[in-house]
Amino acid sequence: MTVLRWLALALGFALVASRAEAVEVKEVTTPLGIKAWLVEDSSAPVVALSFSFASGSASDPENQKGLTSLTASLLTDGAGPLDAQAFKQRQEDASVALSFGASLEYVGGSLRLLSAHRDKAFELLRLAVTTPRFDPDRVEQRRAQMIAGLSQANQRPASVAQRTMMATVFAGHPYGANASGVRENLQTLTVPQIKDRAASVLTRNGLIVAAVGDIDAAELSRQLDRAFGGLPAGAARPALPDWMPPIKPRTVNVERPVPQSSVLIALPAIPRDDPDWHAAVVLAHILGGGQQSRLFSEVREKRGLAYSVSSALRSQRKASLLMVATGSAGEKVADSLRVIKSELVRLREGVTDQELAEAKTYLSGSLALLLDSSGSVANLLHTLQVDRQPRDYLDRRAALIGAVKAEDVRRVARRILREEAMTTVVVGRPAGTTSTAEP
Amino acid sequence: MRRRAALGGLFAGALLTPRASALAGLLRVNRRPSEAFTLPNGLQVVVLPSSRAPIVTQVLVYKVGSADETYGHTGIAHFLEHMMFKGTGALAATEFSRTVARNGGRDNAFTDFDMTGYHQTIASDRLELVMRMEADRMINLRILDGELRPERQVVLEERRMRVDNVPSEMLDEAVREQLFGLHKPYAMPTAGYADDVKKLSVGDLTAFYRRFYAPNNAVLIVAGDTTAEAVRKLAERHYQPIPSRRVEPRQRPAEGGADLPQRVIRADARVPEPRWNRDFLAPSYRGGETRHAHALLVLTRLFGGSETSRLSRALVAQDKIALSATSGYGATALGLTSFEIAVQPARGRSVVEVETAVGDQMKRVLDGGVTAEEVERAQNQLLASAIYSQDSLASGPRLYGNALSTGGSIAELDNWPQAIAAVRPEDVVAAARHVWRDAGAVTSLLTPAEGWK
Repeated sequence: MTVLRWLALALGFALVASRAEAVEVKEVTTPLGIKAWLVEDSSAPVVALSFSFASGSASDPENQKGLTSLTASLLTDGAGPLDAQAFKQRQEDASVALSFGASLEYVGGSLRLLSAHRDKAFELLRLAVTTPRFDPDRVEQRRAQMIAGLSQANQRPASVAQRTMMATVFAGHPYGANASGVRENLQTLTVPQIKDRAASVLTRNGLIVAAVGDIDAAELSRQLDRAFGGLPAGAARPALPDWMPPIKPRTVNVERPVPQSSVLIALPAIPRDDPDWHAAVVLAHILGGGQQSRLFSEVREKRGLAYSVSSALRSQRKASLLMVATGSAGEKVADSLRVIKSELVRLREGVTDQELAEAKTYLSGSLALLLDSSGSVANLLHTLQVDRQPRDYLDRRAALIGAVKAEDVRRVARRILREEAMTTVVVGRPAGTTSTAEP
Repeated sequence: MRRRAALGGLFAGALLTPRASALAGLLRVNRRPSEAFTLPNGLQVVVLPSSRAPIVTQVLVYKVGSADETYGHTGIAHFLEHMMFKGTGALAATEFSRTVARNGGRDNAFTDFDMTGYHQTIASDRLELVMRMEADRMINLRILDGELRPERQVVLEERRMRVDNVPSEMLDEAVREQLFGLHKPYAMPTAGYADDVKKLSVGDLTAFYRRFYAPNNAVLIVAGDTTAEAVRKLAERHYQPIPSRRVEPRQRPAEGGADLPQRVIRADARVPEPRWNRDFLAPSYRGGETRHAHALLVLTRLFGGSETSRLSRALVAQDKIALSATSGYGATALGLTSFEIAVQPARGRSVVEVETAVGDQMKRVLDGGVTAEEVERAQNQLLASAIYSQDSLASGPRLYGNALSTGGSIAELDNWPQAIAAVRPEDVVAAARHVWRDAGAVTSLLTPAEGWK
């Protein structure tokens, strides 16, 4: 039985297929003490690695916003004896995909390789994380690309809505920072600052690794020591400050000359380790998790107010949000908002037994549908480690979802769906909505 | 112009004498087996067994898309795709997707110029359920005015989101109108012109459905944890009873726009930085001088397919004229397609500088040729991407659906790696010479409101 198959069984197809084996996600500890989760699967000659270093854009120094993202983007722009062109050429010749990016809490990397080129691929990874060059002409190019990217994002209604929401909900907290940086800061970042940031991020302390594919534990262990073994251990990192959720409703309108306005609603949710977490997952699904959801039915099917309307839970270490997203022509925004808000109120009264049963079936099965490739499995195993879940979480998930009762959903609905904590952002030219705060 | 990804290929066993060892290694990877048959009513069936996960994907692709519409009725193929979820005699509106979700699966659909596809992924023991529902709506769709009216608003919102809110997509529509000729196939937008979508009636949609939705005008692909025998049995039970119907062969123009070259400029207050594009009419696997198709895939890789390609080295790394410089080409189409060059200029660089630099690089290919090493590197990349596609459960059905609904065959897919490996440097130059002509070009500028010097 291949790995994807037993993962899928564990993820809930037990409901429909006979459950044969438990998932075995191996933990590998290398001679140098690096830990990794591994699932072996030799059905394609491919290996995918998903890994991260435990410091991200939320730790950008003051007046250096964008530093971590810029640093991450430069890691594959030349290392050791190889300049940028030579490095890319080596990647292409060995068909290796290697990339880095910064999010709020970590710098993530992904490596995808053909198993025949394992040595070449892990050698490129070693060079990238231990001896990045930061050649000045590459720094200038990446800087210019990031600044252009910011300008473009500033014209995309959905990006502006997202940015405005984060800046509003997390005002005064590091999560409010834009991982892509601030133009004025990006313009002044220097090579020594980039090198300092690389040195503080690229350490073994807090390194998380997930590997999937055509590689066994001994070989993975050898390759991880090769790639990461030369990194310093690094010091413990200070925790980010606690977040104080909003306690007053706010609406922020951002004027943009677009025919369709982008709408986001955010509500403070519950922490990832809260006992009600799985009830909240069920709640978000019933609210706006697919074509059977209440929002899809009320906003799209019955009224044609939007093409896309959905809700999802997002969690970071210090905060989690329930977010609703949609887009409507300017003259329909007020109607969309009215319908969405009345659905949020209605959901406080609880869900039907049928809704609950259908949500459980879907949520138990749907994760298996995401196991499309080695890379997606590696990403899932990486996320579980970031979320500090146990290695047998995938075995237990179906049972955790299955145990959710209607009263649990109702309780968590009342904890989360509170109008007084709701932040609304509208980007475009909405008719009939008023802003309670300037962006 | 926004492109779909180039056609990849699954792998055949060792063949041909590869010129280089890296290429030989890539060619030796075994392809995943496919099994194919055709039902007596003309439905073509492809089965791609894979036991990696206990799930199956059913994809039903109809050989009809927005390029089969007529001006005044644009958007009909896409609107019909939405209405396919609105019920049959047996199934109430929205029950299709609700049933799939209730059984732990997910479903969706897509419309393109040459095809319309419907797909579900679900536990393998639920294959019959989705097959029964998919067969039902092939013949029993019921389009009601009460369902059509709110859905029209949804379709218009989708157009606003995908096109009207995105300046580059609006420019893309204008470029296509020039490149393929106003009101002609591939020039009319898949989302439809809003004025047309507002007028489409139950009668229009029903007539289009009756004309094109038939078993002999469709391809069924089932991938995942099943066997050809199991699929055959289910397909005979559910699809076989649907009678075939005469469907007129599809026509695609042999020529593009009448008045090329053209320049199209869109100055838009929503655009922060200018972009420069040049699109050339190009042959596909099926339209125009098809013998150039594989060489064009190699050309686009080595010319603008990565950061080590010629365009990127010259314009981005050396001369710092551009922040990015790329090319794109996809060969899967029933008619003509396009070869695109796209440049995001560095701040303060002029249109003339960009055009001169791109022109210089094109001239170097045409006059100076390409090296055997460059060609081999591009071939390696193309073959490696096809190996990576084997690692994904979704890519097989996509590949077969695209190819078989645009006149391709399974034999061609099987032979794809060899066809790529056989491309020689002189073929690449000949393909470039064929495509890079002023008489087939549209240059387009997307600029801020104040323009671009």
